[in-house]
Amino acid sequence: MKIYTGTGDKGKTSLFSGERVPKDNARIDAYGDIDELNSILGTLASHLSDEAELTEELQQIQSDLMQLSAWLATSPNSALIESLEEISTKQITFLEDAINRITHGLPVLKSFILPQGHPTASWAHVARTVCRRSERKVVPLLSDLPEGKAAEQYRKSLVYLNRLSDYLFVLARHCNHIHGVPDKLWKT
Amino acid sequence: MKTHVQTYTATLLRRKWLSKKTFEIFASRPPGFTFTPGQRISLSLNEHERDYSIVSAPKESELTLCIRKVADGKLSALLSAADTGASLVIRGPHGYFTYRPSPRPAVFVATGTGIAPFCSMARSGISGFTILHGVRLAADLYYASQLRKNALKYIACLSESKKLPANAFPGKVTQYLEQHLIPGAYDFYLCGRNEMIRDVTHLIDRRFPESLVYTELFY
Repeated sequence: MKIYTGTGDKGKTSLFSGERVPKDNARIDAYGDIDELNSILGTLASHLSDEAELTEELQQIQSDLMQLSAWLATSPNSALIESLEEISTKQITFLEDAINRITHGLPVLKSFILPQGHPTASWAHVARTVCRRSERKVVPLLSDLPEGKAAEQYRKSLVYLNRLSDYLFVLARHCNHIHGVPDKLWKT
Repeated sequence: MKTHVQTYTATLLRRKWLSKKTFEIFASRPPGFTFTPGQRISLSLNEHERDYSIVSAPKESELTLCIRKVADGKLSALLSAADTGASLVIRGPHGYFTYRPSPRPAVFVATGTGIAPFCSMARSGISGFTILHGVRLAADLYYASQLRKNALKYIACLSESKKLPANAFPGKVTQYLEQHLIPGAYDFYLCGRNEMIRDVTHLIDRRFPESLVYTELFY
């Protein structure tokens, strides 16, 4: 069974809303980074298979990122935005609650740390940096948008990605912590 | 995306052959099952499952599917011989291949049983579209009369037929689009095999670049 069509063989692809765009289009670039982030989270989850709560949490985040990607893949003036699931405040609160829970079990941090340690912590740091890059790619998309539902959802996406970066930072520390690896402080 | 996929059970009511290898099945519509014209379902019988686009309209009391019996296809073989009353498992509806009204003219392009979602749209009252149905032989032009009622233009594209029905185009859908569709911005809806979707999409990129393209791939 063939799963490929070859419609993208000449450097163009289709947005969910039907427009044919070059593959270096700003939208493709943005959701491409979110796809990369999502894949890194999958890698991280596969290394944390003994941690049921964390893997479940990561799976929820992976689904949320698919939802964000759908918004980015849809032209804001398309009627199709009505078929998209809105990003809810609850999804952001989910991350905040997780940050609070994880932070509670960690030693207080008084200086910068180096992104390293246990392999799971290192993957979480890689995910954090890709998350920040995704955030940087969404910012210019928002600046071009007229006020409306899409602009509102892009703003929510930025909050989500900002919070997710914070989550991934504490998750990296947590991964070191549960594996008995101390934070490596930055010494100037 | 908003999805409300559920599993239902339906009963096979009857079967009707449309051509030598293609047939329709009619199934009871499970209570609570709703869909938008153009969507598909996953249908399973005896643990074999496959996706099929729905031919009937949401307002109809029965679900109609158009199935091509393929040489190595287990489910199509089962369905071509299943007894009336057989229990079918349905999951869905799936997909976003639905009609989106717009100021641009709609051009529907189908090959073979890829005509199914466009039938559902027409039977639901969508009209004013141009539709191309690409098949090898005139005998495969099922649903032509239904589609003509709602289409602004219905073009049968026959790639191998020696006897051409009136107004049919002798060739592939790509050839028709290349030679006869005037340049402009359209909303293209493509449903069929991957070769057609690839070739038509490349043609659209080259000849109708301001258009939108929605696709549904049939394996």
